[in-house]
Amino acid sequence: MSVEAINNQPKQSALMAVLASFWFEFRQNRGAFYGLIFMGILLMCAFLADFISPYSPIEQYRDALKLPPVWVEGGTWAHIFGTDALGRDMLSRMIYGSRFSFYIGVIVICICLTVGVMLGLIAAFNKGFIENCIMRLMDIILAFPSLLMALALVAILGPSLLNAMIAIAIVYIPHFVRLTRAQALSELGKDYVSSSKTMGASRARLMFINVLPNCMAPLIVQATMSFSSAILDAAALGFLGMGAQAPTPEWGTMLADARQYIQSDPWMMGIPGLAILFTVLSINLIGDGLRDALDPKMKTSKT
Amino acid sequence: MFSFLFRRLLVLIPTYIGITLTAFVFIRVIPGDPILVMSGERSPSPEKYAELMHAFGFDQPLWKQYFDYVGNLLQGNFGDSIVTGRPVLEEFFELFPATVELAAFALFFALIIGIPAGIIAAVKRGTFYDHTLMTISLTGFSMPLFWWALLLIVFFSGYLGWTPVSGRISALYFFDTPTGFMLIDSWLSDEEGAFKSAVMHLILPAVALGTIPMATFARQSRSAMLETLGEDFIKTARAKGLSPFKVTVVHAFRNALIPIITVIGLSVGVLLGGAILTETIFSWPGIGKWMVDSIFRRDYPVVQGGLILIATIVIMVNLTVDILYGVIDPRISKKGH
Repeated sequence: MSVEAINNQPKQSALMAVLASFWFEFRQNRGAFYGLIFMGILLMCAFLADFISPYSPIEQYRDALKLPPVWVEGGTWAHIFGTDALGRDMLSRMIYGSRFSFYIGVIVICICLTVGVMLGLIAAFNKGFIENCIMRLMDIILAFPSLLMALALVAILGPSLLNAMIAIAIVYIPHFVRLTRAQALSELGKDYVSSSKTMGASRARLMFINVLPNCMAPLIVQATMSFSSAILDAAALGFLGMGAQAPTPEWGTMLADARQYIQSDPWMMGIPGLAILFTVLSINLIGDGLRDALDPKMKTSKT
Repeated sequence: MFSFLFRRLLVLIPTYIGITLTAFVFIRVIPGDPILVMSGERSPSPEKYAELMHAFGFDQPLWKQYFDYVGNLLQGNFGDSIVTGRPVLEEFFELFPATVELAAFALFFALIIGIPAGIIAAVKRGTFYDHTLMTISLTGFSMPLFWWALLLIVFFSGYLGWTPVSGRISALYFFDTPTGFMLIDSWLSDEEGAFKSAVMHLILPAVALGTIPMATFARQSRSAMLETLGEDFIKTARAKGLSPFKVTVVHAFRNALIPIITVIGLSVGVLLGGAILTETIFSWPGIGKWMVDSIFRRDYPVVQGGLILIATIVIMVNLTVDILYGVIDPRISKKGH
C-alpha cells in the first residue's frame, strides 16, 4: 500500500461513516423514502424520455382528438393517458414534461445557491455598510409577494420558460441570503474560526473552507423546499401564460390548455395536475427527511 | 418599546426608497420604447407620440423623472390607468375591499382548521391522528393552487351544483355598496337572498386560497407545540394537577404563539400572491386580478402603482407582527432587535 493510500483511508472511511449514519436516519422516515423512489422514477423518465415515450410530444394525431385515457370508456391502449385537444399523446407529453420539472428546479436552485450564498457570506464577513446594503436589498425583494414579483419580472423580460426561471430565482434569493448570513454569523463566533484566523487563514479560506461547510445543512433543506416551490411557481406562471410557451409539454402550460375542457374532459386537467402534486409532495417529503437526518434540533415530522 | 418601534420605522426608509426605485425602474427597463410598447398595435402619430412622451415625463432626465415620481407619490398621486383613464389609487381602493374580504375569510378558514389540527397532532404525537393530519397538511402544502381551485369548481360547482363559479354576487341583485365588502353590503340591503348569494360566492375561493396557509399553520403549530410541550414548566403545570386542556391551551399554546404568529404574518404575502391565481380563476374583482389584467394589458402605471401599494401592505403587516412580538414576549422589545 502506498503512503497516500494509507493517508487517505481513514478520511474516506470517516466520510463513509457520516454518509452511512445519514442514510440510516433518512431511511427511518418512510415518507422520505417513498418520495425518493418517486423522484427516482421521474428522473428515469426525464433521462430516458426519448426511448420510453411511445409518441413524439408535439406530433398532432388529427384522427384521435380528445381521446379519453384507457381506464375511461372509449379509451384505447394506443394512447394510455388519452390525447389532448390537438390530438397529442398525453403520456408522451407527461414523460417529456418531467424533464422541464427537473430543468426548472435545478436551474433555479443553482442560481439561488451561488448568488444567495455569495451575498450571504459577503454580508456576514463585511459588517456595516456592505452588509446593510445587501440586507436592505433583500428586504425590498421580500416586500413584494413572490408570484406577483415573478409575474412582473417575466412581463419585463418577455414570457418564456428561461425568463420564468430567472424571475423565480431572483424572488427566492433573499431566503438563501438571510439563511447563509445568519448561519455564518453564528459560526463566526466559534473558537475554531478564531483559531483559524490566528493561524493566518485568508478571508477566502475562512469563508469557503471553514464557515461554509458548517452552514450547509440548513441550506440543503432550504434548497430542497425551494426546488418544490420553484416547480409550483413555474407551473403557475405557465398556467397564466407567462411561462413555457406552446407547444412545450410543460405541465403548467398543459393545465392552461386543458382549462377550457374542464367540464367535458376533466381527465385532461387531472393528469398533469396530479403529476405536479406528486412531484412537489415527493420533494417536500424528501425535504422533511433531510431536515430530520441533518439537524435533529429542527425535527418536524416524526418523534 | 418606543425606541424599538422607532428603530423599526427608521429601517423602513431605505427599504421604501428601494421599493419606489424598483417600481420606477420597472417601467424603464422594458425592452423597446415604453410608449410604443404601451400603445401596442395602434402606432401613434408623431405629434401624439411627443405628447405622450411629455405626459409620462420620458423627455426629462432620469433623476428628475424619479424625483417627480416620488413627489407625486407623496401627494397620493399614483398616476392614471392607460386603459380606463382613472387614477390608480382610486381603482385600488375600489377593488381592495374585495381582496381583503377574500383573504380574511381564507385566513379565518386556515386558522380555525390549521391551528387546532396542529395542536391535536402535537398532543397525540406518533399516533394515527398525527400521521393522518400531517399527511393531509403536507399534501395541502404541496398542492398547485390553480389546479386545486379548478378541482373545487369541477366538484362543487359542476358536479354538485352547490356554488356559483365566478364573481362576488349573483347578477340578479342590485344594491348600493357603501363599504365595498359584499357580505356587509348585502346584509344591509333589503334584497332577499342577496346575503346568501354573497356567502355562496365567497366560500369556494376562500377555501381554495386558504388551503396552503392552513397546511402551513398546521405544520408550524405542531412543531412549535412539540417544542414547548417538552419544557420544564409544562411538567410543573402537569404536576400541579392542572387539567390536560388547561396545560395544552393556556400554558403550552401561549408559549408556542411566537413562531405561529410569524407564519401568520408571512402568510399575508402568500395570500396576496395566491390571490393573483384565485381571483383570476374565480373572476373575483380584487387587486390580484387587477394586477394580472394590467400586466397583460401593459397598463404600466397601474402595475407600477399596484406594486408599491401591495408592497406597502406587506411591510405594514410585517411591522405589526414585529410589534406583536414585543407584546407577547416583552423580552424581545427590551433586548432591542
